[in-house]
Formats: sequence, C-alpha cells, structure tokens
Amino acid sequence: MIKLPAYIQFTQPGLMTSVQDLGRFGQAQYGIPYSGAMDRYAVAQVNFILRNPKDAAVLEMSGTGPEMVFESETRIVFAGAETEVLLNQKPVKYGEVIEIQPEDHVVVKRIKKGQWAYMGIQGGFESESVAGSKSWYPGITSRDRIIKGDSLCYLSEPDRYYPPVETKAKIRSDWFRVSTLKVYPGPEWDQLPDLLHNRILHKAFRISDMVNRMAYQLEEVIAHELEPILTSPVYPGTIQLTPAGKLIILMRDAQVTGGYPRILQVENTSLNVLSQKKPKEKINFKLLT
Amino acid sequence: MNIHIKHIHQKLVEIFWQKEISPKILHEMIVTKSFLENQYADGIKEIRMGYHSLSLKLSLDMSKQDAEELLEEIQNIKLDQTAFSSKTWTLPVCYSKEMGKDLESLSKLHQMEIEEIISRHSTPEYLLYFYGFIPGFMYLGGLDDTLFTPRKSNPDRAIAAGSVAIGGYQTGIYPNESPGGWHVIGNCPLPLFDIHQHPPVMPQVGDKVRFRSVEIIEYEEIKAMVNKGEFNWSHD
Repeated sequence: MIKLPAYIQFTQPGLMTSVQDLGRFGQAQYGIPYSGAMDRYAVAQVNFILRNPKDAAVLEMSGTGPEMVFESETRIVFAGAETEVLLNQKPVKYGEVIEIQPEDHVVVKRIKKGQWAYMGIQGGFESESVAGSKSWYPGITSRDRIIKGDSLCYLSEPDRYYPPVETKAKIRSDWFRVSTLKVYPGPEWDQLPDLLHNRILHKAFRISDMVNRMAYQLEEVIAHELEPILTSPVYPGTIQLTPAGKLIILMRDAQVTGGYPRILQVENTSLNVLSQKKPKEKINFKLLT
Repeated sequence: MNIHIKHIHQKLVEIFWQKEISPKILHEMIVTKSFLENQYADGIKEIRMGYHSLSLKLSLDMSKQDAEELLEEIQNIKLDQTAFSSKTWTLPVCYSKEMGKDLESLSKLHQMEIEEIISRHSTPEYLLYFYGFIPGFMYLGGLDDTLFTPRKSNPDRAIAAGSVAIGGYQTGIYPNESPGGWHVIGNCPLPLFDIHQHPPVMPQVGDKVRFRSVEIIEYEEIKAMVNKGEFNWSHD
C-alpha cells in the first residue's frame, strides 16, 4: 500500500487550533507539563471511528474553527464540541467519516456547544514528535498554535479501499450533560474547617471567563484562612485555592508545581467533562473517599 | 526522617517532610526518590518534587495500608552521604539596566547600590531544589536575606529568555520568554533548556549553582559561541 505525504493548508487558522495527542509523560522532573488533548473522550471517539492507534495525533479547535484545503485523499471525523462543518460549502454530519478528495475545502464554524472540538485524520498527523509526544506546547514544540498559511502533514493512501463504516452509530455526547465532577481530597483539604468542606461540596460553582489549556478558574469566592504552602507538585485536575478565595482547576497544560494550597484533585474522567464546560456554566463537586 | 504520607487516591500519594526549605530535607528527598526509583520502578509512573514533598503517581493501585507500609520502609532507608554527589555550575550573568529592567527599582526599594546588589547576588552558592513553573526553570534556594523581594502584584506579560530574577527568597532564570512576576536583574547567555538534548537541562536537582558577573562584551562572546554550537558546559 503506497502512503504519500500530503499537506493540509490553513487558509484561516481559527482562534486556538493545535495538534494534540494523549500527552508527554515522565518529564516533569525538567518542568515539562503533560499537555495533550483537553477532552480525551472525544479523541478516543475520532481515533476509534478511524481505526487509528489510540494516541494518533488529532487537531484540537476552540472558539472559531479553521478553514483548510486538503492536498490529497484521506478520511476525517469530527467529535467533541459541536460545530457546523462545511465540506465544499455543504454541511457534513458530526461524527461521520468524511471522505476527502484532492483540493477539498473544509470550514469549521464557530463552536456552538462545548469548548473543544476535534478532527481526527486517517493514521493521525505526521507532525513533529518531541520527547515522546506530538502535543503542541510553547518552548517544547516549534509551534504552539496554527497561524494563517501554516500547513500540516498527513499520510495519504489514494489507492486504499476502506470498507464502509457504520455511520448510524450515534456519537455519544452524554458527558456534556453531566455537571457533577468527582473529586478526591487534595493534600491540603484536611486543613480546611468542616464548615468550608460543606460549603465547597454543597455549592454550585460557575466557570469564569478565565478558561484555557492551563487552567479553568471558577467565579465564586471561598473566604478562608489557609496557611500559604511552599511550592509543591501539582497535576492536571489539581484544584488550588488562592489567598483571595478563588478556585483554580488545573488543566492539561498545567505547570508541574504550584504555590497555592491544593484542596481537591479531580478524578480523571471528570476532567474530560469539565473541559467542555463554557464560561457561566455551573458545576458542583462530589467527594470520593 | 520525620515524614508522613497522604493517600490522595489509589494512584496518587504524597510524602511530606517538615514544612521548610532546607538542604537537609532536600538531601533526604533525593535519597528517598532514588530509593523508590530503584525499588519500585514497575509500580511508580512518575515522581514530582516540591520543596518538602515527593508526589508519587502510581501505575499499580496502592491502598491506605500499603501507603503506611511504604512510609515505614522509607523511614528505614540509610542516609548514605555518598548518594548525594553534587556538582557546582558557574553561570555567567550580565547584570545591567538594559538586561535587568528591575535593577534600578530594586536598588531604590532596598536602598542599596546596584553594585552591592550584584555582589550579593553573585556571591552565594545556590542549591537547585527542583524544576517547575515552566520547562527548565530552576528553583534555587540560598538567596541573601537582604535581597528578599516580594513578587510583583501585577506580573509582567513577557520576560525575556535568559532573564535572571528574584522572587521572594528565591532566585531563578527564565529559560524561555514567559509571563512572570519576578524582578529581573540580569541575563544569562547560556541555553538553559533544550528539549532536543538528553537530559534537556544541565544542572540536576541537588547540584549547586553560582553566578559570575560578566561585562556585556563577554556576554556577547558567550552568546556567539552558543549560537555557533561551540559552547561547552563545564562544572566543578
């Protein structure tokens, strides 16, 4: 089977478009974060539908999506946050395998539901792999987001026959309706009084406008008298409580250490749920012990 | 060792030392980390360090009971001095108003001549506690008390790569351009983080770091060598 390198040209970059896989592990001792896709459920879906390896690199998009032109044949799938996708000006279905022909033009409109949309491609992107991962991160990979005029490499297999894919199977998006995040007590949780434990666990929190790949900050303020900590290890999912009482939930691009008390740790699958929440949406916590 | 363990969940535990920044604690942490890496390579995915704790991300489940047993085992580790071999790295720094945009304001704040700040910053031997914040950023302990400066309440949007800065009781170097709240007093021409090298950083946790004040001419010479790929790291 002949595989030929081919390129996607980005005629519009979109607001925040990057290549992600499952992340870069075991490098925290040098200060290198995990990175990787914000919503791993959605990545699992696109790679499953395309029969790709689980860690095949995908395109992650937020806000307004990009406009792109494909050089050669391939197949793509969209999942995650819902958005209108046009193939040569005609709308295509969400979660459906799209057969791409040379010079095809794909436009990803503004995201309507959720925060992060994903485009999987046959075989994954052939972009640079640095320290064991293709996930883009400033200072690690040569690019950190798509800019106008960029291109991305994939392997095209023009002669390959693909058996028809069962496209009736509906893309599950049930995690969009979940608003309860499962959490574990963090290292400094015990230092909060019971009164504040109850307040945090029985309150609905709103997502603030400060939402990015590093962290999501919540609106509500929890007044407290926690002692400052010395800089300590943190992970994606660590919830920090700032001196001003703001809760900051660290996401995939989180630093490896932090200086605020770590009150809770979000359970892994709940981090995918959280990633798709938009500013003003409400969440609450359920403590696992 | 005076330590305790927190079981966060089946795959995450954290071992705590007393809450202070101290070379003795760093030594105990390094010995413990290397013990764990040797004894439990299969069960531990990753170990993260802070000033007084080691966080263990596990690949196998660990119960609360297992965690207590692990703690006991760690308490029985012999603190062998030889396990702590430490190198000293001397890093050139050009301290100037051009390269250290906060040098003047620090001079006013501490009512200290710029020359005095430079001398007090380039005299001590700093200890590398861990890397954090951004890739390749060293947390260095041992700053002269008189140079203690609280972090800026409004962080700068962009601090240049190589900036040598003071934040609280710590000093460090920004290996790449980044937003940051520390006070910049100079610049180091060396490539402190290169993801394509293995390891991507030269000084390792537990090593010592010194700063050597250099004039702009020498700074440019070193920078030119770095750019031509002719710079060689050396240590004592």
